[in-house]
Amino acid sequence: MVLTHTTNHTYSHPFPTVTLAFFLRYYSPQLNPFSSHVLSTDTISSHVDPDTGRLHTTRIHLKRSRMPAAVVKLLPTSVTGGGGDKSSYVLENSVVDIREGWMKTESQNLNFTGILSIVEQQHYSVSPPDATASSAERDSVLGTSPLASTVARPISPNTFVTTTFSYRSSLGNKKQDHAALASTDASDEPGPRRIGGWISGWGANRIQRSIESIASNKTDDAVNKSRDGMRMVLERLRSNGVVAVLMELRRREGKSVFDQS
Amino acid sequence: MSASLAPECNGVKERYDTCFLKWYSEKYLRGTGKTDDNECTKLFEDYQKCLSVALKERGIDKLLKEAREDNKENDAEHMKRK
Repeated sequence: MVLTHTTNHTYSHPFPTVTLAFFLRYYSPQLNPFSSHVLSTDTISSHVDPDTGRLHTTRIHLKRSRMPAAVVKLLPTSVTGGGGDKSSYVLENSVVDIREGWMKTESQNLNFTGILSIVEQQHYSVSPPDATASSAERDSVLGTSPLASTVARPISPNTFVTTTFSYRSSLGNKKQDHAALASTDASDEPGPRRIGGWISGWGANRIQRSIESIASNKTDDAVNKSRDGMRMVLERLRSNGVVAVLMELRRREGKSVFDQS
Repeated sequence: MSASLAPECNGVKERYDTCFLKWYSEKYLRGTGKTDDNECTKLFEDYQKCLSVALKERGIDKLLKEAREDNKENDAEHMKRK
């Protein structure tokens, strides 16, 4: 089963600035105090599609306590690794189409997926969620060809975002167990040796539902913090351009400022 | 300044990030950054050379491969249902 949770939000900032804030949101706790749980951020791929002009980016974030503590408590230490290290790798894929005025992002946890898989999808747009389809139709009727023009429409002062979280626990399912225990899975002997054996005795299904609902109940809090963080980055960008913001951060960190050649 | 998961890559990562953010805000968002081959390409290559070693060491490359295979499977299931 999958539990989903969808919310809509409007930022009172133009779309290009919001996309920049998205890339900058984990840049520094000084820029976004709500990002102190993010231990690292790395880009592993970035390219512009020559046909569509869309920017495709893949990043890996290392976040502390991605797994809710209540979920960790439900699990034996053989699964959580003792519960001491609760940081989790998060894979983030994003596509920006600056000409059409939208950005789609998808983030998912890379480890602990056998216990709980969390997928966050976001759709940012210059038009409100219900108007998106009709505006896309209008564009195709007009026959706008890719790269024919840069953003020609008037710049909307607002950016609309729809966020959907999906929670799926497959704890005790055969396939997921296999993945979770891949390192200790040298023998092919079937049976209760697996987590499935441990958990099915007291209702794998019920535990899966509990894990999904505990995680889902934390969504509002997570969404609010993430929006507050985005807003702080956006405010900084409103008063200063990105280059000024970056130079100010370097100054505060006591580093020499890059030459802007 | 956000760190790299591999501290030894922090320097090259910071140079790339700064370049990317500048390119993104000054070119891409203005509709002029349309190619892959830009002023940040060389910096990105240096960064990836450093990072790929760390991804392998920490087994993250395997996690990535698993995630991609899972996504493919899920997509295939969706297609079947239709």
